[in-house]
Amino acid sequence: VQAHKEDKPQKLLEMNGHTSVPYSYNYDLIVIGGGSGGLAAAKEAAKYEKKVMVLDFVVPTPLGNSWGLGGTCVNVGCIPKKLMHQAALLGQALEDSRKYGWQFTEEVKHNWMTMTESVQNYIGSLNWGYRVSLREKNVTYENAYGEFVGPHTVKATNKRGVEKLYTAERFLIATGERPRYLGIPGDKEYCISSDDLFSLPYCPGKTLVVGASYVALECAGFLAGLGLDVTVMVRSILLRGFDQDIANKIGEYMEEHGIKFIREFVPIKVEQIEEGTPGRLKVTAKSTTGNQIIEGEYNTVLVAIGRDACTRKIGLDKVGVKINEKTGKIPVNDEEQTNVPYIYAVGDILQDKLELTPVAIQAARLLVQRLYGGATSKCDYVNVPTTVFTPLEYGACGYSEEAAVQKFGEENIEVYHSHFWPLEWTVPSRDNNKCYAKIICNIQDN
Amino acid sequence: MGWEEKQVRGYPEFVQTAQRYHGRPIFALFCGDKDAAGRSWCPDCVTAEPVVRKELHNMPDESVFIYCLVGDRTYWKDPNNEFRKNLKLTGVPTLLKYGTPQKLVEEECFKAELVRMLFTED
Repeated sequence: VQAHKEDKPQKLLEMNGHTSVPYSYNYDLIVIGGGSGGLAAAKEAAKYEKKVMVLDFVVPTPLGNSWGLGGTCVNVGCIPKKLMHQAALLGQALEDSRKYGWQFTEEVKHNWMTMTESVQNYIGSLNWGYRVSLREKNVTYENAYGEFVGPHTVKATNKRGVEKLYTAERFLIATGERPRYLGIPGDKEYCISSDDLFSLPYCPGKTLVVGASYVALECAGFLAGLGLDVTVMVRSILLRGFDQDIANKIGEYMEEHGIKFIREFVPIKVEQIEEGTPGRLKVTAKSTTGNQIIEGEYNTVLVAIGRDACTRKIGLDKVGVKINEKTGKIPVNDEEQTNVPYIYAVGDILQDKLELTPVAIQAARLLVQRLYGGATSKCDYVNVPTTVFTPLEYGACGYSEEAAVQKFGEENIEVYHSHFWPLEWTVPSRDNNKCYAKIICNIQDN
Repeated sequence: MGWEEKQVRGYPEFVQTAQRYHGRPIFALFCGDKDAAGRSWCPDCVTAEPVVRKELHNMPDESVFIYCLVGDRTYWKDPNNEFRKNLKLTGVPTLLKYGTPQKLVEEECFKAELVRMLFTED
């Protein structure tokens, strides 16, 4: 154990009924993962003058890409996604603007590099802001990969391979997730994921998006909105877990607006036809319902088939933290505590909880307030509003129709719905029968 | 090779100097003008300058440190001055790593640890 002799927090241990023996840990709290949940917890704990360390490390993508402090949302998730979605919306707005009287003769084109540089510059300012914030709050930050090596002890390995050991009274696991790959020839060599897309140093060109998650559809949506030729390859249904009636409307809208869908196929092989930025790739796919094989050529293949929790290589077995072996997620009680009393978890890695930044932040803050501030409030994970930023934007709160029927029984559900034409869409003559709202009611609630 | 300092005054001179050293790490400290007695109209700049100077040895080799006087108080208060418009400066003193979003503004420049972090951050 490295010597960290200054200001050790004291923890008294009872031993065999004799008087307490002082035991010193290096830190009150070590947070593994510097994303939405981890940073919120660290900053909150610092308010209570606890000695806190944050370990954040980004294992590079198969293509060698990495990023700074802040986690998925800031670097390769919500933030760049919404900015690029906005870039696409602005393209649409420019078209609409003519009907509103704006006159311009130049053809409007989109420059991928200009957009990406601006987005990355903003992300860089967020990374830096977090560095300053942690430093000012006296939270120790190390850009190192944290893993448990024994009770109350983690090993931190930096990018040069230097290892250090640290001990703490309590730990918070907030390691998040990373994109899943297909497991087919050529996937890691030639395909990109959302981890690569938002900093891609060249325009992706003609793109195949594999997957039908919100990540897949949001990315397909903005790429098409920027003028690119986009195809989405879907294995079965769209937006699993979301209201299927709405998911299908979203898919239809995307199709009507130029995005191609290949339904009920999965890629079995990706080969490189030509190197380049972008290059040319040949994708071979097989039907899920028969033996049909198809081939297609694309500049870029974006894999968005799901995300896996980063819980399998952080030494959880060394401290006895139980995970769901199939999904990698960590089950916790309603106080975010794992089966090991001094180890907690927050964010996307939690089993059966919503994977959203504001949820992770809220859970983290409430947890720390309970640990150090004597508070009792627990995080409410139900009825959290969420939005999918597909070309037809989708906002939802509460049960999907399927989930409501399953929980309360079809006879107890009444759905009120309506199409609507947004006022702003009238003048530019945009679709008048696409926007839609529905309220799902439990009849027994009157 | 170590590092070197360039002292400039005003926006055009700043830009010219930064462009001349393109390719090397460039750090810049922006302060209010100094009077004949060497005192700046900006009290925070007076506090920050010695803190920053003490940490300069932490800059990577080949760095260029540009010490830039922005102008008098009236010029600085004008919301359309070139530093505000083009470099997006919001206050003096500002210490930044040119070409990156990394910067420290006003009281942040008083903290040696933050200044050191700016100079040594990857």
